Amino acid sequence: MRATIRTTLSVVAVSALLSACGGGSMTLQSPSFPTPLVEKLPVKVGLRLSPEMEQFSHEEKVFGRETWSVDFGDANARLFRQLFDHMFTDVTILTADDNPDLLPIDALVETSIDAFEFSVPEQTSSNSFAVWIRYRLKVYDKRGDMVANWPVSAYGKSETKALGGSDALERAALLAMRDAAALMIMKLDAETGIGSLGAMAAPATAETPQDSEEDVKVSVSSDNTSSFAAGGIDQDAI
Amino acid sequence: MQSRPRALLRSLTVLCLAVGLSGCITARMQDNRESVTGIAEGESVVIMARSYHLGNETEAEYISCVENALARGSKGLRVIPHREFVDSLFPWFEPRTAPAETKGLPKLMERPGVAKRLADQQVRYIIWLEGDTERVAGGGSLSCAAGPGGGGCFGFAWWQNDADYNASVWDLKGLESAGTVSADVSGTSFLPALVVPIPLIARTQAAACKGLADQLRMFISDDPSA
Repeated sequence: MRATIRTTLSVVAVSALLSACGGGSMTLQSPSFPTPLVEKLPVKVGLRLSPEMEQFSHEEKVFGRETWSVDFGDANARLFRQLFDHMFTDVTILTADDNPDLLPIDALVETSIDAFEFSVPEQTSSNSFAVWIRYRLKVYDKRGDMVANWPVSAYGKSETKALGGSDALERAALLAMRDAAALMIMKLDAETGIGSLGAMAAPATAETPQDSEEDVKVSVSSDNTSSFAAGGIDQDAI
Repeated sequence: MQSRPRALLRSLTVLCLAVGLSGCITARMQDNRESVTGIAEGESVVIMARSYHLGNETEAEYISCVENALARGSKGLRVIPHREFVDSLFPWFEPRTAPAETKGLPKLMERPGVAKRLADQQVRYIIWLEGDTERVAGGGSLSCAAGPGGGGCFGFAWWQNDADYNASVWDLKGLESAGTVSADVSGTSFLPALVVPIPLIARTQAAACKGLADQLRMFISDDPSA
């Protein structure tokens, strides 16, 4: 009997040690975002979300051994739907099969995830998890011409001290998504000119696709992985 | 009859309890007042961390500690939990968007709904914390061994933590800085081991939390007895 208990305890201890060294996983379960204090733009917007916005997951080996997996589920789609509902007077969600020409909209916004990265405390010799997400927003006018191509780079960080490992990673991911929302609320109109595409507004002035990279410098390596070089504070908001 | 080692151990334990089972702490609190302060009944304060976009590393547990310490007691202040505050004003107090200086306050107040939301919550002061607790030195050696007949440790280890925090107090009534309060606490912990390790831990961060909260309460109430 005693030998059995000892064996069981040993197995539990070894399992605990292995799991402590073996990475972790995080699942964002139906996160909710606060209602933003913002005035709606008088624009009828069609929002088309890319497939990865509806289901995004990522797995990575840190230092070639610890496997970390993150599962956003439909959290990104949820964020954009909710955010656009608060930012525009009229929002229509389009599926891949919907033809925007047949819908009464002033502008079409296509969103996708360009890049995703995270760091664990061992990588940065800190107590924090960090998450970087870069979304891409392509804005089209009524005629179907692309008027803006805007990368939205967001960053979130959370300590492991107050939260457990996967909880801290989840919090960092949530903060990164909130950071993206904050950036879009502040700069979407200025960066894309979407406010001027409304039926009541003056004709759009932005005629050529823009790719503004001022918020983040991104380098793309040969293996098609992207790395973020900067985040930052938005002085316009201060 | 007790064996000799057991009696020795008991004596050591009693001795350690007698000295309070703590390390050495030195603390210095300072404030720098820029305007007249005071807080009316019903008015509240919010404790916020400076943005991590600016490299600030203030621990979440330290912010919660200061919140709790400020609210505690008969002269405690009304404190709005920082997450609740940030959510209620989303997205204007996110790390990216929060004003870094008081000169950003007028523009913030012009944002739709912000002034009303602050008024509804009766927020009088926003206190911005920056700083952290770091291990700055350590030494000694401690070794432990275990065998079929038992185990034990022998040696001596020590380490020193420094907690440096600075609180900037913004008065939303005049949209101006009321001043700053700082806590500079240094604590040395010891871990002597003679068979059994006896931790003499200096609770540096906790001392910095209590010291800063007490000083902040006096600063805001403008009452030395607060």
